[in-house]
This record gives sequence, C-alpha cells and structure tokens, in this order.
Amino acid sequence: MKKRIYINLIILFSAVFAFSSCLNLDEEIEDKIPANNFGKNEAEVNAIVGPVYKTLCRYAAGHNFMTLQDAAGDMSLVPSKRGGDWWDGGQFREIHMHDWVETNNSIWGAWDKSTQAVSSANLVLNIVENIEGLDEQVRTRILAEVRGVRAFWLYLMMDFWGNIPLVTDFTQTDLPVQSSRKEVYNFILKELNEIKDIVREDVTPASYGKFTKGAAYTLLAKMYLNAEAWGVDDAKWAEAEEALNVVMELDYQIEPNWKTNFIPKNEVSREAIFSACFSVNDASGFRMQYYNWLHYKDNLALGIKPAGNNSWAAQPAYVHLFDEADQRLTGSFLLGQMYDLTTGEKLYTAHDRPLNHTIDIEIIPGSERDGTVWGDVQQEVGARNWKWDYETTIVDAMENDFHIFRLADVYLMKAEALVRQGKDNAEATRLVNVMRERGFGNDSHNYTTVTLKEIALERKLEFAWEQMARQDCIRFGTYQDARFLKPNTHGKDHLNLFLIPQKAWQTNNKLVQNPGYPPFK
Amino acid sequence: MEKKRLSFLKSGLSFGICFLTIGMMAAMPTQSVFAEVKITQQSGKIAGKVLDEFGEPIIGANVVEKGTTNGTVTDIDGNYSLAVTNPDRAVLQFSFIGYITKEEAVKGKSSIEVKLEPSVVNLGEVVAIGYGSQTRKEITGSVANITEENFNQGVSRDAADLLQGKVAGLTITSGSGDISRDSQIRLRGTSTLQNDEGPLIVIDGIPGGSLSTVAPQDIESISVLKDASSAAIYGSRAAGGVILITTKRGSGSKTQVNYNGYVAIDQMANKPDLMNADQWRAYAATVPDQDPAVYDQYGADTDWFDELTRTGVSQNHSVSLSGGGPSSNYRASFNYLNRTGIMRDNDMERMNFRFQFQQRALQDKLRLGLTGSTTLNDFRVPFWENFMYAYNMLPVYPVYNKDGSYFTKVNDEFDQGNAVQIQDLNERRYKGSNFFGIGDIQYTIMEGLNIRTNLYTSYNASEFMRYDNFETKPGKSSHGFAEKSNTIRKRNMMEWVLDYEKSFGQNDEHKVSAMAGYSWEENRYSYTMARSRNYLINDLKWNSLQSGASLQSGDVESRANNYKLISMFARAHYSYNEKYMVTATVRRDGSSKFGDNHKWGIFPSVSAAWGISQEEFMKDVSWLNDLKLRAGYGVTGNQNGLQPYKSLQMYGGEGIYYDNGVWATAYRINQNANPDLKWESTAMLNVGVDFTLFNNRVNGTIEWYNKETSDMLYTYQVPTPPFVYNKMQANVGDMKNTGIEVLLNIDIFRKKDFNWNTSINFSTNKNEVTRLSNDLYSSDRIYTGSPWIRGGSNITSHVVEEGYPIGQFFLLECTGIDENGKYIMVDQNKDGKITEDDRTYMGDAQPDFTFGWNNSFKYKEWDFSFFLRGSVGQKVLNNPRAAYANNTYLIGANALNDPLVYQLKESSRMCSLYLEDASFARLENMALGYTFNLKDKKWIEKLRLYVSAQNLFVITGYKGLDPEVELFFNSNPDADDAGLSPGIEPRQFQPKARTFTFGVNLTF
Repeated sequence: MKKRIYINLIILFSAVFAFSSCLNLDEEIEDKIPANNFGKNEAEVNAIVGPVYKTLCRYAAGHNFMTLQDAAGDMSLVPSKRGGDWWDGGQFREIHMHDWVETNNSIWGAWDKSTQAVSSANLVLNIVENIEGLDEQVRTRILAEVRGVRAFWLYLMMDFWGNIPLVTDFTQTDLPVQSSRKEVYNFILKELNEIKDIVREDVTPASYGKFTKGAAYTLLAKMYLNAEAWGVDDAKWAEAEEALNVVMELDYQIEPNWKTNFIPKNEVSREAIFSACFSVNDASGFRMQYYNWLHYKDNLALGIKPAGNNSWAAQPAYVHLFDEADQRLTGSFLLGQMYDLTTGEKLYTAHDRPLNHTIDIEIIPGSERDGTVWGDVQQEVGARNWKWDYETTIVDAMENDFHIFRLADVYLMKAEALVRQGKDNAEATRLVNVMRERGFGNDSHNYTTVTLKEIALERKLEFAWEQMARQDCIRFGTYQDARFLKPNTHGKDHLNLFLIPQKAWQTNNKLVQNPGYPPFK
Repeated sequence: MEKKRLSFLKSGLSFGICFLTIGMMAAMPTQSVFAEVKITQQSGKIAGKVLDEFGEPIIGANVVEKGTTNGTVTDIDGNYSLAVTNPDRAVLQFSFIGYITKEEAVKGKSSIEVKLEPSVVNLGEVVAIGYGSQTRKEITGSVANITEENFNQGVSRDAADLLQGKVAGLTITSGSGDISRDSQIRLRGTSTLQNDEGPLIVIDGIPGGSLSTVAPQDIESISVLKDASSAAIYGSRAAGGVILITTKRGSGSKTQVNYNGYVAIDQMANKPDLMNADQWRAYAATVPDQDPAVYDQYGADTDWFDELTRTGVSQNHSVSLSGGGPSSNYRASFNYLNRTGIMRDNDMERMNFRFQFQQRALQDKLRLGLTGSTTLNDFRVPFWENFMYAYNMLPVYPVYNKDGSYFTKVNDEFDQGNAVQIQDLNERRYKGSNFFGIGDIQYTIMEGLNIRTNLYTSYNASEFMRYDNFETKPGKSSHGFAEKSNTIRKRNMMEWVLDYEKSFGQNDEHKVSAMAGYSWEENRYSYTMARSRNYLINDLKWNSLQSGASLQSGDVESRANNYKLISMFARAHYSYNEKYMVTATVRRDGSSKFGDNHKWGIFPSVSAAWGISQEEFMKDVSWLNDLKLRAGYGVTGNQNGLQPYKSLQMYGGEGIYYDNGVWATAYRINQNANPDLKWESTAMLNVGVDFTLFNNRVNGTIEWYNKETSDMLYTYQVPTPPFVYNKMQANVGDMKNTGIEVLLNIDIFRKKDFNWNTSINFSTNKNEVTRLSNDLYSSDRIYTGSPWIRGGSNITSHVVEEGYPIGQFFLLECTGIDENGKYIMVDQNKDGKITEDDRTYMGDAQPDFTFGWNNSFKYKEWDFSFFLRGSVGQKVLNNPRAAYANNTYLIGANALNDPLVYQLKESSRMCSLYLEDASFARLENMALGYTFNLKDKKWIEKLRLYVSAQNLFVITGYKGLDPEVELFFNSNPDADDAGLSPGIEPRQFQPKARTFTFGVNLTF
C-alpha cells in the first residue's frame, strides 16, 4: 500500500512538470513595446529618432550647460545669497573662480547629459542601420541627421573636456578609454564632411529643428575657428570662412526685428539654423529662464504665474558693456525696481529690502566664506535674464525655442575669420554693422573698421545667455582674466579644459584625469 | 488578459484533476480500513473540568480534539463539554495561557478532569511555521511567537502596532505623527540596498499579504520567522524575514459574541521650540537695517504649530461572532476604526469585514474552508510642506485678517505661506478597497497523510486624489492643480501541499514529518492617472479634470504590468524523543521578472536541535526544566524593488518631439536592459539556545546570527557610453549583518492573587556593506541622503561604501563655532580650502543595541502593565536645527529659539554639528485594566475595562522633535535609495502623538 502511494506521488510530481503552463515564466509585456516589434515604417522610425533631437533640449534648458558656458565665462554667475541660498557646497563659487574640484556638480551634470546623449545617438544609429525594409534613401538621410546631432554633442564634450571616450558603436560594450582631443576633433571633422551634403538644405518649416546642411556647415566653421585655440590644429581661418560662405548662401535671413529670435513663437525666425524645440505642453520643457533667473517675486512684476528661484545674475562688468541706446540691453536684462503688476505696489524681499535688480553686486561685509573673497549678496542684486519673452498664460513650461546656431553667429564668425586672415575688412565691418544697426535701430553706432576687439564685443552684446561666452573667451584669450571677485588665472592653461568628474571615474576606472589636475585616486 | 485568466483556470483544473486522481488512487486500497473504523465508530460526548495549580477552575481554557479544529472553551466554573466522533482514539488537548498544554487520551471515557501546571512559557504550545505548525519543543529554527495576551494595548492600526518592541531583532518604526503612513519594519537589520520592504507578511498561510488587510482585533497570534532555516521555505521573498499572522477562528460548539471598543485622544507629544512673538520682537529690536514694523503690524502672536494641530480623537468598534457545531465552525467579524490625527488635515477611516467558515465531512477526512475579507480605507493625507511653512512663518503674522479672510500676504515668500489656509482649502485623499477570498480543501488520504489546496484571489483598488486651490501657495503658480489616479492590483494564487506525519518505535520515540508543495501565483497591476491645471473656479476639485485649461504631455498616463511566481517546496523533519531533531527544507522559485538565464533559484536550509534537558545525565538537574540547543543555516532570496520587464529591451513613449510644425510622440528604448538579472540571496547561520529554569519560572532564548547577502539588487550608476542610461538594475554588492538577541521572561511573583511577570528583550545588529563592485560594475561609493538647508541642494549626508554600514554619515566635520560666529570646519585633505571634498565619516544611524522591557502585574481583578523600549548609540541628523537655528533669515522668517541663533554669524552649512546622539528610552505603553467577576451572571462571560497611555514620555539627549525617525522620508518608497539614508529628522517631520485610551472588552 505504501509503495503504491509513493508511486502515485512520483506520478503526481511528474505531472506537475508535464503541464508546461504551470512552469511558464515568460514575460507578457503590457505597457511597453518589445524592441523587435517597433520601427517598422517611416513614422515609427521618426518616433525613434525624436529622442535624439530631444537631447538638445537638455542642452538648452539645462542648468549645468548654462553654468559651464556663461558662468565659467564672463557673462553670468551664481552668487550665494544672504542666508546661504545657492551656496550649494560652493560649486558655483568654484565655477566662477576657476577653482573647481572633481566633485563639482555642474561639471558632472554636463558630463552626464552629454555622454547619455552620445550613447542615445549610438543606439538609434544601431537601430536605424538594422531596420529591415527601410527605404535606403530615407535610411541614409536619417543616419546622417543622427550623426550630425551626435557630432554636435561630441563637439561640446571635446570643447569642455578635450580628452573624452570616443564611443561611436553601440555594440561596443567594453569600458572605453579616452581618445585625445585631436583624435576627437578629427573624428568630428570626418563625420561632418561625410554628412554635410547628405542632410537636407532647405530652410522651411519642414527642416526647422533638424540637423540640416546649414547646421553642418556652421558646426564645421566652429570647428575650424576654434582649432587653434583648442591646440589640435593649425589656424583654419580660411576653411572656416569657406564653410560660412556656404551657410550664407542658403536661404537664411537676418530677422529685421532682433526679438523675433526670442518670442514664444520664435520658430518663425528665418535666422534660426539649428534649434532645440520646446512646447508649453512639454513636461521636460523650457523653464530655465524664469526658474533659475527670476527672484521669488519677479513673477508678480512680470505678470506670470510660476515663480523663480533666484539663482543667476549677470556679472556687473558684462552689463556695463552695453550702451544705453542699445536695445539689446533691455532686450537681455531685467533691471531696476520691481512693482507688482496688479497693485502697482513696490515689491520687497523677505529681508525687507526693495526688490531692485541693480547692475552692481556687493558682497555683504563679514559674510565671506572660508577666508576667501566669496561671500553672500543681497537677494535682489544683479541683472536678470529677460531675453526670451514670456507668455502670461504659462503655468509651467515656456513655448520659446532655443536657437543653438543662428545666422547672426555666422555673420560675426565670418567677420572674425576675415579679420584674422587680414582679408576684406570692409566686408567684416559690414557684417558687424548689420548687428549694430539692428541693435541700435539706426546706423549711428556703426563702425568704420573692425578689429578682433570690436568683434569680441559684438559677440557679447548679441549673444547674451546663448551659451557662447566660455568658448569665445578662450578663443579671444580672455578666459583667465581677472573678473568680479575672480583673480587673474593666466598661466594656468589647464583650466581651459574642465576636469573629468569623479562620478564618471567611479563607474569607469579607465578614465584618466586631464593634465594639471590631481589624478584620480 | 483573457488568455491569462484562462491559463490560471486551466492550470488550476489540470492540477485539480491530477491531484484528485492521485488522491483517489491513494485512497482506494485503504477503503477496507475505513470500513473497519466505521464498525467501531460511535460518537461520544466528553465532559469535565479544567483546574489550575490551586485547584481553582480555569475559565476560558481551550479544549481541542487533537489534530482537528473540533474544540470548545471552559465556562466560568471551568466546565467543558465536547463531542468527539471517535472516543476510543481521540486525544484531548487542554491549554491556557501561562500554563503547560496537557494532552489526555479519551480511551472511551466520558469524563476527564485535568489540572494544568503553570509555566512562564508553554512549550507544548502550537506555533505557526511556514506551511504548517509545530510545538515549541519541536522547533529547530528561530521563531518568535506573540499571542494576543502580549500584544501592545491601546490604539493600533495593524499588526505592526501590536508587535512594536516585543520581538528581539524586529525593529518597527513609526516615525511620524501622520496616521496615514505605515510603519517601517526591519528584521535583523537592513539586508538589501534597494527598496527593502522588510519581512514577508503571510496571513493565514497566504504569502505576500498586507498588514492593513487584517484588523488587529482579528489576530490571534503572530509568528516571526527570524532565521533563514525557518524562513527559507518561503524562498525568494523571505530574505527580510517572515511574519506569519494567524487569525482567530470559531471554536466548535461554543457560540460567542465579542465586542471590543475604545476611544482615544491623541495629543501632540512635542513641537519645535520656535521664537514666539515676544522673543521675535526682542530680537528684531536689535537688528539695525530692517524695520520690524514692516512685519509686525497685525498685533498677532501666533504659534503656527498650534494652529496646524489639534487633539485627535480615535474610536474603534469591533464585533465578532463565532461558533459552530461538531463538524463545522465559523467566525465573522466587523471592525471599524476612525481616527482624526493631530494634524488638522489628517484623518482616516477603516472598515474590515472578515468571514471564515470551516466544514468537515466524510468522517472528518475532508475539510473545506472558506474565508472572505474586505478592507475599506479612506485616508486624508496631510500636506507635509505645511510644517516647513510653520518653521518660517513669523509669530507676528496672523492666521486671519481683520475681516476674517485668510492672511495671504506672504504666500509669495520662499517657504512661507498660510498653512492653515492650505489645510482648509487643499485636499489629498487616498481611498482603498481590498477584497480577498480563500478556499481551502484538505483531504486525509490515510492517517498522517494529508493533501490540501489553497485557492486565493484578491482585488485591490486604490484611488488618490489631490487638489491645490489657486488661492493657496501650492496651487498658485499652476492656478489650481488637480490630480486623480487609480491603481488596481489583482492577485491569483494556487497552492498544493501534501504532508505526512508518522510516529513509530516502541514509545513512538521516532517522529517523522514531511511536506511537499507547489504554488503558482500571478500579479497584475494597472494604473491610470490624469492631472490638470489652470482652473477658473476651485469648486470642481478633481471631479472634473477636463475643466482645467492647461494640459501637458505626461498629464495623462496609464501603466500596466504583470508577473508570475512559481514555486516548488518541501520540508522533512525528524525527531527522536524530543531529544534530537533535524529539519531540512528546499524551495525552488521561478519569477518571470528575471532574465532568461536566471529565471529559477534554489533556496535550501537545514537546521537541528538538541534537547539537552531530555538526556539521562540531565535528569537530576532539578532547577533546569528545559534546555535546547539549536543551529540552522539557510538561504533566502529577495526580489523587492524589482519591477517587471527590467531584463528586456523595450520601447516606451518619451514625451513629444517637433516635426514639421507638429508635435509627435517620441519613442525610446526606455532602460538599460539587463538580461542577467537574477535573485538576490541571503545566507544566514543562526545558533540559539532556549532554556526554562527554576520550576518553569524563568524562560529565555539567546541567539547569534550571521547573515550575508550577495548579488544585491540595486540600480547602480553605470558608465555612459557604453550604456545609454546612467543607471541600471543589476546584481552586484554584498552585505553582512551579525547580531545577538536575548529574550528573558520571568514570573517574579506567582501567587493566587498577585502575579508579576517581567520580560526583557535585547538585541544588537552590526551591519556592513562588504562589496559594491564586480567585474562589470564599480561603485566605490554611493552618495545618498538629501537633508535640506537653504543653499544646500545636491549636498548629501550619507555614503554607502564597502566596509561601512548602511546609514553611514559622511559630512563636513565641525568642531564648534569660533568667536566670530563661524563654523570651525576640519580641512581633512589639508588643501587650505573647505570644499565638499573635506567631508568624512561621522558615525552612523545604526543603534549599538535596542531593548524592550515589559512588566505586567495582576492583582485579583486588576491588571497593570507598562512597556519601556529603547535604542542606544544611533546618530540622527537634526535637519530642522541645521535649517532653522540661524538668524540669517530673521527677521523676515522665523527661527528656532536656540542658542545658535545668537551665536552663529554665517549661513547654515550641513555639517557634523547637527549630528546628535539619539539614544532613547520610551515609555511606549502603560495600561490598567479591571476584569469584572461575573461568576453569577449567566448572560455575560467577560467584561474588562481598561485605560492605557501610549508614548507617555521619552528620555533622550536628542535636541530635535523625536529621536526615533523613519528609515526614509520620501514620498515615494520605491525610490532607488529609500532606506539607504536612515537617521534624518526631516523638516517636514510631523510631531508624534501621545495617546490616551479608554476601552472595553466584552464577551457574551
């Protein structure tokens, strides 16, 4: 009897295994699409490429890039406020004073976003290369666009860090080592030269926001223009000029009204060459201007609902560069006493001080930190960014797009290339004067001739908060100049490259710190 | 979906069929035995008396026919009467709390009188273990069992409140006064990096339950499976330990009606000591460049914490009805709990219904059970930012303007706003309903061999609703914000268990039992959320989302997923004369969540015990009643925090992108897929000794354990490139917990009219992260913890690092304040600068030891108890002091009334100055009860009245609100680092309550 039971038990347990459904552990995906089930037609492929363009929004709306570009340069800074707001462990002091350490959060944030963008592009390239049945012409065009966006990110990284992991193949999964700045430079040139005439060249609503021929040649020009400053090549002024000429022959136009570039519907600008596109409906949208720049109560003065966090201010010397008559002064800054738009009452800060955005910034005596000159300032001091117009209806994100490249930049680069070659000063002067006439509304401030000094100045006046300051400073040799609080750091050329952040090294021990900085340990 | 339900039915059916067939095959040859039994069988009635050591009747003693649920309880004269189907073979078990269980064979007798012997511990008591039960004597693993008599008294929401402080090694933290927040439970330390959900909850045999689904009044006993050898039978979910909850059942022939009720009041136990109006005015007069009149123009003297709080009132009513006949029993209960919290915008209402019915048939061979339960919850969740505003709002600001409207003048200031207005006008509400049903069928194939199946299904629906009125600070920027979400969780489970028990040998000294089983379960999840902004009028709240004028991508969302868990498990137990005992278990678990290569994991365990006191050479040691040495080793797993589909490459929607004038949805590979994802496993070695001494007056347990977790699941930082995302879930690190636990239970006085029992538990646990890297991933140090001070974003307070425990603080070292009022910081790297690079290891949030001390007294009809518990050696970061003990925002914002306000002359910085020793002892509970002597009342059986106080006082040197803080304060407990930065008192910390209760227990 017992035996029988045991036999039955064995049968029973074999039965358990015999019913496959009882041991089936396959996943049944409900709210996602399995990778091999998507990308079957052009619309789906476009949806896969969409995120590559969205990486640009992280550049344009990201606090980190603005900090590295403009605050490490000569335009903005993030002062510590009375009570400690925006001290944040000294990370913004480090950026302004060129005194950064490997734990600096802004540098890490920029590294993190850039490397993820490159990887995303690699992934999409891999997907698009392997999609079956895709029209070859479409495939070639899409691949070229994605490579273009990737080239832009690699260019940014090469500009910031020089020696970076150059991973361009998604299937390569080993921990990468760094390539030298020159190798990265050469790779980007090669990529741009391969795609520049494949990508679309039309300047139409259909090409807006895409990586176009205009974008490719503008980026190529920037590569050549900075090659010498980066120390990767001889001066390439002629090549830069040649690339810029191609852009100038395309259908772009200088907008008669400068502000057209910054209004909520600024996609209408014919000046835009390469743009990060934003929508009020986009949860990951453009809110940096009010969020980081405006004081907690500035929104009451501007009549908008979302409030700011009182982070950045313009460096005083930068605002002083602007002529009173230049429309770009009030077109770039929020200045003076703020009044409540509904009641007309003067606004005060919580410290009972008039909410008056002064150009000049003063450290509160006695607030100096750790024996340095850096200390706290009153909440309200400093000019704020008011370049992109607000719609009073916004509740969160802004509609305004961010033009990464625009024709004004091409004009001023061309002027610079001409002057640097000692060629055609009349044409260079004409190009600079186009900007000045638009800025002043008349020709009374036009130059008769220009030198690099006038061009450098004009770039500053034109491109407030357009993330050009650091690169321009380095190219014009003013990056290590003494500035508000910051001492002269000339001679410390290693500072022209940021350091590789510690967090990056922690996940990849093959990374080597840039020269001049303490090695990783 | 339809297909899946079919597969559940199909597999259920196929199992049913094959088990039924096998059962019949097994049963057939034994038919002759049945026939034999039938001939001699005649049912009989047994009556008698149960007496105590003084010969006095014991009221309410349990009398159960062994091996069945047929039983009754003695009446007020100690009399019982029970019908058994087979008086020749039946064995009766007599048990009562505080006495040793006694067994008597009926052997045809019709009257049995027994006298029970007292004992501080009842070794004959049957304790629930995984998939079965054992007597205390037989247990080889580490199992703590708490029965109703020892539960904490007073207001209790769930089993965690009943258990707090009672079990050595079990830490239950209810760190906040928010009554809608659950307790956080850890057994023997933190054992994983990711989303440690604490012990697995098993309710009446069904694993994976939620404590909130059982009313505390329905719980009979709680077993805590502490070591891996006892928990490993639950395999992949048992790494955090297992809590087994056994609910009350109907007890055979006796019909009982029971009412339990209490009312309680909650008072704020402690509040921050902020500057009051006079102190603020005195300070303001000394400030040269600010005009106090700007702020002080309302003549107000407001204590914002008082304005936000109130005396909470709780009431609980619980009614149960139980009874049955010789072959059936039932119990039905209803429980209603209503609480208003000490925060004005915090309340809860809960209803639990529970019904349980058991029927025996076919000469008791077949047992059928049915259990159904419903829980309805309605919580109002407080708006935690209110406490931040209360810290900042000036005492000279009024709550209301002269005309009765809300004072809103400072609603635009940073971290200030009229919090009373927010409480009144905004609402966050959570409603949940949970239904479950269990059908269980048990069949005795032959004597000792049983087969049973459990079929379980549950449906849990919850809603979350929120509205931020545009008049208030939170709703201002979006001009009204509404959200509503719905979550539905469904679970189906089927379980088959075959068990066998046999004794043999001359005196039945060999005892063998074995169990094997299979379980299949499926979990389905779906979620829908919509939110909307920009309202014209506030009245609609979340009830008309379409009325909001602004909609963003991501404002409408739905999600769904599912996973399956399939298991096979077995246990064998052998004991010789209760002297030598050995148990082995094995479980094979498969989960659909894991990568293709690692779907299955095996979790074995073995344990042995030696009943030393049973040895011949110990027979003469009269002071030693019992001594048992136990050792066990086992491996358990963990998959908490692992969402389905993590091993797969998939596309998901990723916002919108611009294309030719149109915004279209972008799709993106949504994660770094990890096809190698596998089980996290925890191996534990446990050695313990149980002893009973001095005429059963002293009982204790001493245990040592070493618990090692490997292949820890965590979302690790990974390099980009090659990866697309900078984080990825993977199995990488190792962690270790070692500890000692001591439990001592002493009957100090044991007299007829006076009893005094004291019980002490003590435990230590040392936690250490032993590895964080492997060939693929390297994370030398994970920075975590986000304390908040102005100007301190991105500053972390903790690190997770090899060689250090979870909860390791990593801060700037501050040795004091210098004469200029500046922090004296230690320049650790000696570079002449104080930067974040100068942070260092500054102690941790893990206590050196924890203890609980319970005393209970009985004098005639009176009973009195108090329970003190505490924890020594842990550090807590006093975030409110770091943020608000400073004058930098005075006089525009308020500050703590703290010496630092006058001393410190620079902005606050996060540093070790605010890290405090948070050792404490808390009088958790004190209760006084009176049980009426009802000997001559026939209609009423028991009446007890009691008063109790909870959280009466705390002895501590900690300067903040309360030294006991939650393991994590995060609105999302699924966040990657939830639990990795314990020991921060957040500035949103909600003061705890001191509770006074008056209650009635009534049984008819």
